[in-house]
Amino acid sequence: MNGRHDTEVKVTETQPPSQDVGAQDDIELRLGASLVHLPIIRSVAANIAMRADFDLDAISDLRLAVDEACSTLITRAVPGTTMVCRFTIDDNELRFRGAVTSADDEAPSTASFGWRVLTTLADSANAWVEPAVHDGQGNWVHVELAKRKPELT
Amino acid sequence: MPEQSSHVTTEHDHTPAQGREYEDVAALLTELARLDDQDPRHPALREEIVTRCLPLAEHIARRFSGRGEARDDLVQVARVGLLNAIDRFDPARGTGFVGYAVPTIMGEVRRHFRDTGWAVRVPRRLKELHLTLSQTSGRLSQTLGRAPTPSELAAELDLAPEDVWEGLLAGNAYQSVSMDAAQHDESTLPLSETVGEEDSALEHVDYHESLRPLLAQLPERERRVVLLRFFGNMTQTQIAERIGVSQMHVSRLLSHTLEHLRVRLSE
Repeated sequence: MNGRHDTEVKVTETQPPSQDVGAQDDIELRLGASLVHLPIIRSVAANIAMRADFDLDAISDLRLAVDEACSTLITRAVPGTTMVCRFTIDDNELRFRGAVTSADDEAPSTASFGWRVLTTLADSANAWVEPAVHDGQGNWVHVELAKRKPELT
Repeated sequence: MPEQSSHVTTEHDHTPAQGREYEDVAALLTELARLDDQDPRHPALREEIVTRCLPLAEHIARRFSGRGEARDDLVQVARVGLLNAIDRFDPARGTGFVGYAVPTIMGEVRRHFRDTGWAVRVPRRLKELHLTLSQTSGRLSQTLGRAPTPSELAAELDLAPEDVWEGLLAGNAYQSVSMDAAQHDESTLPLSETVGEEDSALEHVDYHESLRPLLAQLPERERRVVLLRFFGNMTQTQIAERIGVSQMHVSRLLSHTLEHLRVRLSE
């Protein structure tokens, strides 16, 4: 049973999570919506935060927050589809946005333990759903979070 | 003995001297065994014995230093072993306390090495760099009152930022204790701190009726770290200071505990 024999290929990369292209420092990852890829995403998150000289608490928090956000997305993704992640960094903030196609038509609950974890680790977090226009079925589920660089004293 | 002691690393080489050094502990333990658990003098006496024997735990922790583990973490683990030894020691059996405590503490430290440690082969240079970063970070946190940044670590250690980044990332190859192994470990600490405030915050979380037993099943230290971070609003550095381990260790504990909870909550 090899997934590649599956003739019904689901194309999910028709819409990146962010349309504002152009920032030279943005980093985008496209990978299978599978938990096995979590270590790659979180190490990219930690790497970016480290090079942006966030403090060690913030680096670890961001790593955990991205882990949580991606786990939330992956468990909602249509099996066999792709997750798109984008990291945006400016002088005082690192933003992460991830999206998957999903059969769910509701955003992840903001009363869950996972959401509590996310909002504690990040300075802000949002989740929303939009219809996937290309195949007319299913939705994009988005999670966005931001970690501010603390004012260091 | 003189020519042997240089390579002997078992628990026996220091025992005779330590046995004499801790001779008074036996009488205290006998008294402790006589007191009822509910007796108000019980915790005070236990505390006294713990304080009295702390150097024993530190001595053992020191013997395991230089193997790529942060000293603070080793001391903490050795103290857990000491508490176990005090709680399980039976004066009626006639063996000396030190003879019982030393292997118990060493067992705890060895288990720590077995459960944590480097998951993949990491060059010695990187392990040592990671350890240096962890220790320097602890020291800088004390003076700064917050976690340091990579550039502050680089300045303090006179290293290039690239070296600091490399050392920090090496920590990702560091394996944390498997949750299942920890759960079946009978030696988890007794409830030492009430978390009532955090507990009431749980009420506002969905599925708190399924979360609560999962939290209750966690080993004491993992549970405290999760509650303090997510319901007690403390930073990792503050938690590290509170429970006496490094911030990097708190980070690892949070990482594997959250993963464990996610898996269990989705079942």
